[in-house]
Amino acid sequence: MNRIEEKLAQLKEQNKKAFITYMTAGMPDFDKMQEIIRTQEQAGTDIIELGIPFSDPVADGPVIQDASYHAILKGVNLKKVLEAMKKLRSAKIEIPIVFMMYYNTILHYGVEAFVDACIESGVDGLIIPDLPLEEQDEIKEFLQKENAPILIQLVSPVSKDRIPEILKDARGFVYCVSSMGVTGQEATFHKSVIDYLGSVKEVSKIPVMMGFGIRTAEDVAPMKDIIDGAIVGSHFIRLMEENDYDLQKIGTYCGTFKKELNQ
Amino acid sequence: MNKKSYYGAFGGQYVAESLMNTLKELDDAFEKYTKDEEFLKEVDYYLKQYVGRETPLYFASRLSEAYGTKIYLKREDLNHTGAHKINNVIGQILLAKRMGKTKVIAETGAGQHGVATATGAALFNMECTVYMGAEDMKRQSLNVMRMEMLGAKVVPVTSGSNTLKDATNEAIRTWAKTAEDTFYVIGSAVGPYPYPKMVKYFQSVISKEAKKQILEQEGRLPDVVMACVGGGSNSIGMFADFIEEKDVKLIGVEAAGKGIETGEHASAMALGEPGVLHGMRSYLLQDEDGNVQLAHSISAGLDYPGVGPEHAYLKDSGRAEYVAIKDDEAMDALMELCKLEGIIPAIESAHAVAYAKKQAKKMKPDDIMVVCLSGRGDKDVNTIADYLAGKGYLN
Repeated sequence: MNRIEEKLAQLKEQNKKAFITYMTAGMPDFDKMQEIIRTQEQAGTDIIELGIPFSDPVADGPVIQDASYHAILKGVNLKKVLEAMKKLRSAKIEIPIVFMMYYNTILHYGVEAFVDACIESGVDGLIIPDLPLEEQDEIKEFLQKENAPILIQLVSPVSKDRIPEILKDARGFVYCVSSMGVTGQEATFHKSVIDYLGSVKEVSKIPVMMGFGIRTAEDVAPMKDIIDGAIVGSHFIRLMEENDYDLQKIGTYCGTFKKELNQ
Repeated sequence: MNKKSYYGAFGGQYVAESLMNTLKELDDAFEKYTKDEEFLKEVDYYLKQYVGRETPLYFASRLSEAYGTKIYLKREDLNHTGAHKINNVIGQILLAKRMGKTKVIAETGAGQHGVATATGAALFNMECTVYMGAEDMKRQSLNVMRMEMLGAKVVPVTSGSNTLKDATNEAIRTWAKTAEDTFYVIGSAVGPYPYPKMVKYFQSVISKEAKKQILEQEGRLPDVVMACVGGGSNSIGMFADFIEEKDVKLIGVEAAGKGIETGEHASAMALGEPGVLHGMRSYLLQDEDGNVQLAHSISAGLDYPGVGPEHAYLKDSGRAEYVAIKDDEAMDALMELCKLEGIIPAIESAHAVAYAKKQAKKMKPDDIMVVCLSGRGDKDVNTIADYLAGKGYLN
């Protein structure tokens, strides 16, 4: 069974909500990245989104753009991240990992070759923010393969009538953009965010996660009864940078968030 | 896959989910109003009374004599604001008005599209914000001033490489957050569907006029139609009405910068591989990791790593031929046109003139070539001065 689906099934059984983080791959380096991932696994993070750096990250806010830019300067690329994935899987790190990446990186690698590489290196899911439903056929053909990663579907408050179609064959979880636009906004959530999350939850057969703009468990308290988990991106990157990637601080943040989310 | 958003294997809508309904709304409005007599009349009115259309199709007799074939110049440089960009801006902003939007945003490289958008925004009383790379703002301070005089806010973009592609990224990000009241005016034949279609529609006035004018003056269609290609807006407008005329050879001229072999060029079709950027799938300059490579050209307007999807399709289908001209070849042609015809062309347009000289060698004296002179060179005098100083041209 896919690690994401397995983890989400466990959480459902325990009646718990998922805590998901985003980190830019290869930052500050690949060895440290592996330690950060292991620390998070032990601290209670349920799923990790690993950002593959791209030169033109149009769906990201300034914090992740900057991290992505620095990763590229350090020479981080898809091949190296796939190798790092293999290494951490052979080091018995079993936390579900989702690649967050732009479609050009996949096209350039070759769509089928990329899916095969994901299967080989233990990638569990894909988030491709510039690949809306209408453009997904090409990659979906190869995602039928055994042990292929799940394509995570995104919805936004303006998706409205599109939501049922997007969720029809969705697997894993559905990623809700919580304020219109990009990551890194302050926590001034879209005015009708509760209605919106409710409307997604109503149609969704899979867990509903809220992302974009969250810093602490308190930020999602008003929506806690609706959502199945929270995703922290920009704030987590900033926290790691400001604390010089201190493992203890990272562990404490993740542990606290996970605990408070489930209180 | 939404077939209608594609030109063969190119085009599409590679954007965030949050923009998909916005693009649909835009396409619906475009389809509705381009069938609306009142709307079309209004566009025509402003093109005639404000922009100054139609522009002449000028028989360049001294240039023709020098190059050895009949050369006609489609004088887009005579438009208000000095280039073809305004044709599309008038159309898109009138559409924005119809859609009830109150604000427009745009990206700009050298500032030409920014100035055109700021002009249209002033004319139609819209709030205007232009995104421009911080580097470009320094290099093009006069255009920044023009935009500000016209009432636009110019926002410096400091992410990535600080140039046009990053300004475009920033405009897309802003649009994704503000689409409810904001219209994104894209200046080139690029971006997600329906933008390439819209830009072609509003720029096709160039070829509609040119076709009529050449029939009046020569009584027949031209043998060759030529235009420079960055993102590809003047060229797709120049080609549009000739695409179905199979006997007319279409040639797009990209910027070869310092030479294709040096890697410092802007010729997406010469060496680019298909990729995805700015919402479209098309030929794209990229490095070995699939990151977008910076383009280079002495002309800021051609300095773009991608190209409009319909051009990619016209290339693959063989309907149009795409060639490239180096910085120094373009500058030589620029000087030649100044001296032979008393016209200072934009450096972008000079690329087309430079290739016209090469193409003319394959043509007979009675053959006819139409070259799109997309803009005037006033904006380029600083660049030209620097170039000539380096070359010792005028000394």
